[in-house]
Amino acid sequence: MSTVVFARHQVTATERFRDAGWVAFVALILGIPLIGLTTVDGGGALEVETRFGVLAIFVVVSFVGRLGLRWLIDTMGARKLERLRDDSNKSAGISPVKVVNILGWIALGASIALPIMYSDNRYVVDTATTVLIYVMLGWGLNVVVGLAGLLDLGYVAFYAVGAYSYALLSTQYGWGFWEALPVSGGLAATFGILLGYPILRLRGDYLAIVTLGFGEIIRIILVNWTEFSNGPNGISSIPRPSLFGLDFTRSPAEGEQTFASFFGIEYSPMHRLIFLYYLILVLALLTHAFVSRLRKLPIGRAWEALREDEIACQAMGMNTTNIKLSAFAIGAMLGGFAGMFFAARQGFISPESFTFTESAIILAIVVLGGMGSQMGVVLAATLLVLIPEFGRNFSEYRMLLFGAAMVLIMVWKPSGLLSHREPTLRLSRGGAAINDAVKEAAQ
Amino acid sequence: MKKTLLATACIAFGALSTPALADLTVAIAGPMSGQYASAGDQIRKGAEMAIADINARGGVLGEKLKLEIGDDACDPKQAVSVANTMVNRNIVFMHGHWCSSSTIPASDVYNESDILMATVSTNPQVTERGLKNVFRIMGRDDQQGLVAGDYLATKFKGKKIAVLDDKSAYGKGLADEIAKAMTAKGAKPVMRESITAGEKDYSGIVTKLKQAGVEVLAYGGYHTEVALILRQAQQIGLQLTVMGGDTMTNSELVTAAGAASDNVMFTFSPDPRKNPTAAPIVEKFRAAKIEPEGYVMYAYAAMQLFEQTANQAKSTKYSALEKTMRNGTFKTVIGDLSFDAKGDQKAPGFVVYQWKDGKYDYAK
Amino acid sequence: MAYALQQLINGLTLGSMYGLIAIGYTMVYGIIGMINFAHGDIFMVSAFIAVTAFTLLAAADVSSIPLALTFVLIVSIFFTSAYGWAVERIAYRPLRGSTRLAPLISAIGMSIFLQNTVQLTQGARVKPIPPVIEGGFEVWSTPDFTVQVGWSQLLIIVITVIMMFAFTWLITQTPFGRQQRSCEQDRTMASLLGINVDRTISFTFMLGASLAAVAGVMVTVYYGVIDFYIGFLAGIKAFTAAVLGGIGSLPGAMLGGLLIGLIESFWSAYLWAEYKDVATFAILCLVLMLRPSGLLGRPEVEKV
Repeated sequence: MSTVVFARHQVTATERFRDAGWVAFVALILGIPLIGLTTVDGGGALEVETRFGVLAIFVVVSFVGRLGLRWLIDTMGARKLERLRDDSNKSAGISPVKVVNILGWIALGASIALPIMYSDNRYVVDTATTVLIYVMLGWGLNVVVGLAGLLDLGYVAFYAVGAYSYALLSTQYGWGFWEALPVSGGLAATFGILLGYPILRLRGDYLAIVTLGFGEIIRIILVNWTEFSNGPNGISSIPRPSLFGLDFTRSPAEGEQTFASFFGIEYSPMHRLIFLYYLILVLALLTHAFVSRLRKLPIGRAWEALREDEIACQAMGMNTTNIKLSAFAIGAMLGGFAGMFFAARQGFISPESFTFTESAIILAIVVLGGMGSQMGVVLAATLLVLIPEFGRNFSEYRMLLFGAAMVLIMVWKPSGLLSHREPTLRLSRGGAAINDAVKEAAQ
Repeated sequence: MKKTLLATACIAFGALSTPALADLTVAIAGPMSGQYASAGDQIRKGAEMAIADINARGGVLGEKLKLEIGDDACDPKQAVSVANTMVNRNIVFMHGHWCSSSTIPASDVYNESDILMATVSTNPQVTERGLKNVFRIMGRDDQQGLVAGDYLATKFKGKKIAVLDDKSAYGKGLADEIAKAMTAKGAKPVMRESITAGEKDYSGIVTKLKQAGVEVLAYGGYHTEVALILRQAQQIGLQLTVMGGDTMTNSELVTAAGAASDNVMFTFSPDPRKNPTAAPIVEKFRAAKIEPEGYVMYAYAAMQLFEQTANQAKSTKYSALEKTMRNGTFKTVIGDLSFDAKGDQKAPGFVVYQWKDGKYDYAK
Repeated sequence: MAYALQQLINGLTLGSMYGLIAIGYTMVYGIIGMINFAHGDIFMVSAFIAVTAFTLLAAADVSSIPLALTFVLIVSIFFTSAYGWAVERIAYRPLRGSTRLAPLISAIGMSIFLQNTVQLTQGARVKPIPPVIEGGFEVWSTPDFTVQVGWSQLLIIVITVIMMFAFTWLITQTPFGRQQRSCEQDRTMASLLGINVDRTISFTFMLGASLAAVAGVMVTVYYGVIDFYIGFLAGIKAFTAAVLGGIGSLPGAMLGGLLIGLIESFWSAYLWAEYKDVATFAILCLVLMLRPSGLLGRPEVEKV
């Protein structure tokens, strides 16, 4: 690639200005209907208001911005070229895989230390909990999308199944968090298979729309079937998980002890938040271990093979039906666990929390992170949760920044933030790795 | 690169969490963005004006008030996040949230952190859960539905009445209560259905209403859908009278439905703009080019409520404030406020209004 | 019977609009194989442009309806296709040749961005315009039900049919259509044969956006009330329509749109309106199970 780029002519100033002028012209055209003109309610009917001042500023900013951006890209490009020339005879430093590994450990350490550092800050702990929920969801969806290559736009359905099954089991039948955990996961997995079965024949985008439809169907049923799910009112007063039977309440129920009284410390609402944080951290780490392990097992290898070439898989005599269904089931189960935790943490769930937008954000986490990369999911989840949170200071620009960031990250890194993926099997000199793998598999 | 990201994240977290110590902080929360942003806008305008007035009077207990604004976009998850932010900013009082589905989860957070709140959410569940810190300065859906249902059953006796809702927690709750009250009065609705809010095409359901010979429509939901239903009903030659809830106060209804909006009635608390003691405030809003409609005056009243509570309690401690608010009576722009044991407003009273030529007034 | 006829008319009107938006989806899908999630929001932008244009006309006291409609259509198509072009240039072109999912995410981001841009610049309030075309005619009158067709409904159906034929002609008969189809089949080969692939793709996006603009104007005329949120639902419905008809096929998109319009209106006419979306998606699943590439889609030929 780089050899082609070596011979690039220097961009002249006129060219730069012409380019920026073109951008400004486009900005003008785009700006006229939305920025230059607006309609306001003038007592019973709309009136047109003009804001040509703002429009002029917008156009000038685009012009200058483009000029700057172009210059930046060119200098960066030149510098990169220089570096490439310098580096061509040196070996690469540390391998990126190692960096990612080290970063993983740093992230783990930071996430364990976080509630200790911010033990009196609800907001930080709570936001970190949200990040971890998305990390877990991302890892779950990664199995379906990243590993098995099945595009799923309705992942939120399983999240909802997990959340509602815990909410109903606990409020109707008095089940505890820990008893309900396997049931919720199991139910979500069943739904995964249920969804997977009829659509095994579908490919790519047809699959996407059916999964999207499935997610919507689940949501609409939850909204409308009032007797079952309490409809749009949602389910409130969902019991919070306890630590081996110790509740995190201010005053203990009769004959029982709370967390605070058992340890003889003063009650603080932060205890529960921190507990929930560690709970989701443990759940997420278990998910990570589980998925990483699966990848090394035949089933994980089969997923990745399926992603690369379905026909080849069939030709090799693999049972693609089972492979696809297992991916759906396991992905759904992990989503179900996350949903269940979500219900337990919020204490209130309603169908509004399970819209298509949620599915889209989870999918964005997987893709932005770099499909199939576990650390990438962590990074992307952190970004996508924190961007709107930071945006709270800009209130109304919040979601605008979020959308723009999604586009920009994707354009900047089309294959994801941490796209460097280690092949599970490597063909190296003399086929040593294969031999090793064969040995490993034989053991 | 990851490291710098982490570092910035930590720094930013730190920055977000620094509490403002100088002033007394109060907050409002509601949909400042998203589908219902116009309600959030009303709340903000009302609260900002109130804070300015209170500070002009010298603040509360010698301290100036500072306003924090939270945007939950009517999403329960964001509402919890907003609540946690507000806790970190050491607010002493919260006016909000607006959507019932946001208020319910958020109130748990405020409850744990001993923050007093006064909301306008109308879903009964808001106060039914026995949280001590929750007060409501607006009536409840069941009271609202009762008034609307009674009115429909007596005023439109013998006419065919249909009940629709938009599947939101608010809309469905209200519609259910209206249907219940009507049935109790012996006027059973001929149709009970739901539509999807946010769609534009309701011709299917409107045609169905026409087929069933419906003349009066009781609707639980927001004004946008009512406007569309009215327009589409006109298109197929169906004259509908609509009975709605407090959301119909929004003047967008008139702009959107045009002349057909004259057939819209709704229930709302007695109009604060008609309250003679509120007249100077109403004038002040109008002078600032803000029509004090909908939730504007409620936000203003909520801030007055806090001001008077704190002044009477002579403290900004939660326990003192809570006790004072529960037992006292407060003079606000929406009338005298006092609360029952659950935190619901005593004698909220709903009145039936009707739109006429772009203004609403008590229905005859 | 009269009731059913009225619902049929409702369904056709709604379906035409879905169809118009769906064709945009299908064309874009056909040429670069990506789901353009921002298409629904392009449609939303066009509706806002239409509202501004109508309001300007009202201020200028233009009372001739055909003149006003032509003006609004031209203005809306012009600006909306500029948006279509810009979206492709900014969010999709840099991603050409990367994974299949990258443009999808970028499209979702673009959709969020456009929605919020409009909310910020035009306000969150709904934008109503007074009815542009009023009245209609009675088709059939029975003692208990009178079937009425609004002029605006008729207009929508007629314009949709015209657009349908115009685009079929454009794609099958003109040099541009040939270029477009060749890019669909094999982009590398097309560029080797001297076709400017970038330009063809840009032009396809502009055409898709113009159709969205027509739909946007129609929505403004027919419903009269729009807000920054309309793109989302319309986009999903149109996407469903495109897939139902077989994504990549123009008549398929139209057929899918009409079918979905009819399913929705008959389902809410005779069954429960609240479950109409469930019905739509369930029928979609059923059709796809039996015909995995949609009603009129060509099955993919797999080569090993």
